[in-house]
Amino acid sequence: MKQDIVLKVNGTTYTVNVESHRTLVEVLRDTLGLTGTKKSCNEGECGACTVLMDGKPVASCLVLAVAAQGKEITTIEGLAAGVKLHPVQEAFVKHTAIQCGFCTPGMVLTTKALLDENPDPTTREARRAISGNLCRCTGYQQIVDAMMAAAATMKKEMSS
Amino acid sequence: MKNYKVVGKSVERTDARVKVTGSARYAGDLLAPGMLHGKLLRSPTAHARIVNIDTSKARAMPGVMAVITGKDFPGIPFGTRPDIRDQLPMPITKVHHFGEGVAAVAAVDEDTAEAALDLIEVDYEELPVVLTAQDALAPDAPLVNEFKDSNIAYFSDFVFGDVDKGFEEADHIREETFSSQRVSVGFVEPHACLAEVDANGRVLLQASKQSPYITWRHMCRAMDIPLSGMRIVNPFVGGGFSGKHDPFDVDFAAVKLAQITGKPVKIVLNYDEVLAAYRQRNAMDARLKIGVKNNGAITALWAENILEGGPISGIGPFNIYFFGAFLNIPYKIPAIEYHGKLVYSNRAPCGTVRGQEIVLAQFCIDSLLHMIGEDIGVDQVELRAINAVPDDWTCANGIKVDVAGLSECIEKSAQRVGWKESRKSRPEGRGIGFSCASHPSGPRLGGHFGSAVMLKLLENGQVIITQGATEIGQGSNTVFCQMAAEELGLPFEDIIQGVSDSDSTIFDSGMFGDRATYWDGNATIAAARDLKKLLAEIVAPSLKANPEDIEFADKRVFVREAPERGIDWLSAVRKAYYEKGAPLYGRGTWAALDIDIVDWKTGRGNLVHGLDFIATAMEVQVDKETGKVDLIKAVHGDDAGQPINPAMLEGQVNGGSAHLIGHALWEESLYDDKGVPLNYSWRDYKQPTAVDVPECIVEHVHTHDPFGPFGAKGAGEASSCSTLAAVANGISDAVGVRIKDLPITAEKILDALKAKEEK
Amino acid sequence: MFIKRLPAFEYHTPSSVGEALDLMERHGNNGRYIAGGTDLLIAMKKREAVPDHLISLSGVDSLKGITPDDTGVRIGALTTLAEIERSEIIGKQYLALRDAVGVMASIQVRNLATIGGNLCSAVPSADSAPPLMALNASVKLVGPEGERTVPLETFFTGPKSSILKSREILAEISIPKPGPASSGCYLKLMRRHAMDLALVGVAACLKLDSDRKVCKEARITLGAVAPTPIRVPEVEAELVNKEINETVAEEAAQIAGMECRPITDLRASLDYRCDAVTVLTKRAVIETLKRITG
Repeated sequence: MKQDIVLKVNGTTYTVNVESHRTLVEVLRDTLGLTGTKKSCNEGECGACTVLMDGKPVASCLVLAVAAQGKEITTIEGLAAGVKLHPVQEAFVKHTAIQCGFCTPGMVLTTKALLDENPDPTTREARRAISGNLCRCTGYQQIVDAMMAAAATMKKEMSS
Repeated sequence: MKNYKVVGKSVERTDARVKVTGSARYAGDLLAPGMLHGKLLRSPTAHARIVNIDTSKARAMPGVMAVITGKDFPGIPFGTRPDIRDQLPMPITKVHHFGEGVAAVAAVDEDTAEAALDLIEVDYEELPVVLTAQDALAPDAPLVNEFKDSNIAYFSDFVFGDVDKGFEEADHIREETFSSQRVSVGFVEPHACLAEVDANGRVLLQASKQSPYITWRHMCRAMDIPLSGMRIVNPFVGGGFSGKHDPFDVDFAAVKLAQITGKPVKIVLNYDEVLAAYRQRNAMDARLKIGVKNNGAITALWAENILEGGPISGIGPFNIYFFGAFLNIPYKIPAIEYHGKLVYSNRAPCGTVRGQEIVLAQFCIDSLLHMIGEDIGVDQVELRAINAVPDDWTCANGIKVDVAGLSECIEKSAQRVGWKESRKSRPEGRGIGFSCASHPSGPRLGGHFGSAVMLKLLENGQVIITQGATEIGQGSNTVFCQMAAEELGLPFEDIIQGVSDSDSTIFDSGMFGDRATYWDGNATIAAARDLKKLLAEIVAPSLKANPEDIEFADKRVFVREAPERGIDWLSAVRKAYYEKGAPLYGRGTWAALDIDIVDWKTGRGNLVHGLDFIATAMEVQVDKETGKVDLIKAVHGDDAGQPINPAMLEGQVNGGSAHLIGHALWEESLYDDKGVPLNYSWRDYKQPTAVDVPECIVEHVHTHDPFGPFGAKGAGEASSCSTLAAVANGISDAVGVRIKDLPITAEKILDALKAKEEK
Repeated sequence: MFIKRLPAFEYHTPSSVGEALDLMERHGNNGRYIAGGTDLLIAMKKREAVPDHLISLSGVDSLKGITPDDTGVRIGALTTLAEIERSEIIGKQYLALRDAVGVMASIQVRNLATIGGNLCSAVPSADSAPPLMALNASVKLVGPEGERTVPLETFFTGPKSSILKSREILAEISIPKPGPASSGCYLKLMRRHAMDLALVGVAACLKLDSDRKVCKEARITLGAVAPTPIRVPEVEAELVNKEINETVAEEAAQIAGMECRPITDLRASLDYRCDAVTVLTKRAVIETLKRITG
């Protein structure tokens, strides 16, 4: 049964008419056209569909869209301010942390959430934070390098 | 070394910003007006005769626009080579493996398509299954492939040099068996495609394809449409690793459903379908015998290998050949005998995976080398240094090595990992394993094999590049932009990457074997030179010079011997466009014509240029009570010739190694005795996460390949080839147990430790 | 066979336990409660569960939060694993539980999955069960006939089954306050180093005497090695009234390896699991001792 639900995504409020059995990733991609959120395993094992819900990373394939009402949802499309990339995005670009790019949106959002909560992680903590985001291309080294660099930049921005 | 302006610099990837903002469109993101959604009904059994498929109820379901089965295709088999055309778009008489697509539905939405699958009734008559090489070769084995009267899909038999003499001359001989499991390819993006058909019947396919040429050729053949009847445009691809070369049932089904309905049809798989029913790496059963002198120098090698590859040949014949061919390198082996067989089975079809089957050959040979090194008491680093191929080396099978930085790779990795210090003392359970490897820069196969690049000069002075190579994440697009900028004397930012489209691009024969940088790189240089020649002819008269005396650098066009006599690049471009009415294209093609088309069955010949080299040192820690392995550090001494983009090269090396760490330690596609997969979910198919891989260090060893663009070699896959044995040898060094059957699980290590204790 | 899209259902959002119970009463056998949904939604995608009505407990505030009091701490069943991971009181006083939530699934799942849901799913490898059992937790179950509080030890009855009746809600988990000179830990063996189901999980909670020498109380529990998470009194008996050292821990651990009843599956064999139980039990006891004695 379709119903109107209200979702707040990247600061914009949308009213969408969807069935109660639609997952958040389906509504983001298919209804709102926010295809930056990727879908792969559909069972919470790959991290490709990671979005932030009230600032915390969640597997959007395991969230019912109806249950995401009232939450602040951030997708990869909501991170950059116009052409100005978020420091995490900037670091991923600069440190060649991107290859095929399919895991990248989830990696970037998970990193942002980590650094918002723990601005000064160790490499061990950084690796642990993204252990739910599978990447087959990079071997993770340059992703971890980018995470550490982003932490340094964000700390500097905070103090200045 | 030449002082390059753009080449050799870690410039930003051309696609970095598009990907990091989520705006890169992959096949599953595409939409078309009136688009239908397709789903496949998959076989619940591994081997069965299809008695009947009743699609009437599904067709009658509201919202269902078409239902197809294998019978909707012309029944023309396709395959990698004319002698192995052994597969159909979708099965007609029988299913060959669990999850094979037997019918497909197009409906107005995904829910309807999915519901319609439940209404399709298939009568199967179960057939006995063939799961292993032993099953396949049993005298009364059921036949797997209906186009072949044997379960042997292909074979290779080589003898190079005097093998008997080699073993006679050996001071020590050791013979061992090795095995390797089925593993999945593991890219994160599942297969996806969008097919459309226009009013003329012309097909447009946009799919997640690593080698659009292979897809295009096979699909046109099997669907009986001319090459001109299908256009392929590649969107961004979420990783390939050789798992997305050929057309699959999803691609065929989408096109057929689009033809029938006249509407665009999109099919996107869920990842469990990929793990259950699509490309995996061959399972291997191998036996190797090696002979060495007292100093460790190899005198002879004998090898037997059976690859079990699923119900189709695919690229398997190449795998069975490659395993044998790459026993010849990276070590100096004067005499080699090899017998390889590829057999059919009722497990998921195999293609090849990152590193091809050099990965498996190198696991065997470097494990064996470690073992015999221990027997004769020769240091593992010295053992490899003694045997490393040098410059200008011709292997027993005829492979010609032009430039080899392997000795330096070994030295650097040993030094950086602290090998010598570790021999004096190291923590309990700690060890270091070495393995070397070599990988070619793209072999020459039969049929179309050249590379083509086109540079379109814009009137604002910028250049759009399109090439036959496919960007699948490895970064080839960026590399070509760097090369074009270098050759044209332009800044990197002035080269814009265009879209690969079969209407305007001559696709490469396939995106495999580290070929892109080398082949398309050379074609890029050729295209840039062509464009310069055309511009020089236009500009030369006004500079009172001969066209051949015109030089391009720093965004200027000038006379070589009198640099002050010149004009800026933009003025030259405008002269062409506005004075001569000459909008220009630079065109370049390249192919290695001086290498051989190798007969895969006999194996002799020089099939490649640009052999890259690696020496991997893997530091491991083994928990002796649980057998669990922690990888501490991986150091790769890597010779990729002149690195074009060092940061991207490091990403390739690290990624290739991390990929095979999963294969080494836990990844395994498991099947029950009926051929039903047991772990086609990432919940139980474990690929390495960020906490499973070691700290990675790449030590670049710069060499200059005489045939490579700017001296570069192909890159990236060598680290896949060196990692399995490096891990196995590291475990052996750490706790003194040798596991020869992959994956090296904690349980196997613990069992071996217990067995050792009991002795 | 393969994962599908979710089946259709009607979604209900009660704001109180009473309302939730009423809704379940109305929809009888076709209803399921949903908390974090990280298990149930996957089961539904696999059509292992096809409820017509999903009754979400997310809007029931009384089921949320971590509340310490004089007797211990109460954890609302709807509290997410990530909230427990971040909780100061859990990190200070209930280390076995903190250890467990830190090694469960991924952060993307821990932000959704609830502690109550993990218990209700009742899989033998559920990581939260062994530490909670070792911490002597009890669970409050609320149903149409009223509420009952039972020790967690008696909650599980088999793989994916528990004493929870279909219309009951697991509302709250209570953990008694650990006394002085006590601590605990949870160790988990996985194939990978993260994002994996436990091959074996061992929780230990010890209380020493006031001199921090002799073990006065011991609770040792095992996960993934029996149809349910189990407590192993024989192991505990081996530790109590002894000064814990490597030898004592080793002897107790050997008993644990004999007491467990694992199976062979595609993740590990029975023999390996038994060996691992021994190793992890010893390590858990020694680690707990270290945590107490500093």
